[in-house]
Amino acid sequence: MGKLTNFKRSIWVFHASGGSCNACDIEIVAVLTPRYDVERFGIKLVGSPRHADVLLVTGAIPRDFADKLRRVYEQMPDPKAVVVVGNCGTSGGVFYDSYNIAGPIDEIIPVDVYVPGCPPRPEAIIDGVVKAWLKIEKLEKELEKKERGEKG
Amino acid sequence: MNWLESLTLKSPAGFWNPLLWLLFLIIFAIIGYIIYSRGNKGYKPNTEQVKPFISGNAVEDIEQIRVRASDIYWGFIEALKGYYTILMRMHTGDMRDYVLWYLGVGAIILFILVGGV
Repeated sequence: MGKLTNFKRSIWVFHASGGSCNACDIEIVAVLTPRYDVERFGIKLVGSPRHADVLLVTGAIPRDFADKLRRVYEQMPDPKAVVVVGNCGTSGGVFYDSYNIAGPIDEIIPVDVYVPGCPPRPEAIIDGVVKAWLKIEKLEKELEKKERGEKG
Repeated sequence: MNWLESLTLKSPAGFWNPLLWLLFLIIFAIIGYIIYSRGNKGYKPNTEQVKPFISGNAVEDIEQIRVRASDIYWGFIEALKGYYTILMRMHTGDMRDYVLWYLGVGAIILFILVGGV
């Protein structure tokens, strides 16, 4: 696993749940409890995608939710990363090939990290968010490099 | 510093000086610019990034969702509908009608004053 080299700021996460049975959502809530307490690492859940660095998506994504998920993704500022939590979002899970499912999620928006499991353990979710954090650091550096190039 | 004092307006509640006001304006403009310059460089104007978040729903046209000032008076207008219907019928927008009203009401007042009713 890579190493975080640039702790300039904490990572803010927005959670979008589409057609999930809530098991993954409950595990996401569990990572905020005193047992796991991700806020001590600077990982924080926020109420708007416009404030978020990472999009955490759960569920198989019904067709009606696909355009809303796309809009949520587009509203996030750059650099951004997407983490899919659970089997349903990763592959469709038990809803695979169902008539009313628009997912898997990577067919709707670009996905950076997959956290499989039904539901995955909180440790796995934290690991997924940290992987997304590494990706954002990389993207941030690229963005800075691009800006320097434009200025120079 | 007489000239500075000559620009200062004093009152029991405090004082007002346009140069001081200008100084604060410049200071706050600089603070504003510093905050602005530290903003997200990847920000893309004219995209979904600048629109409000309404649980992923599309933002409707502002004309459709805004609360008009007249909406505040809705109950008032609804309660006095009969009265307003007559008033609106009287307000034809035709200047000749208004002159006619002016002459008519003027004649009644004149009759009351001169006629000594």
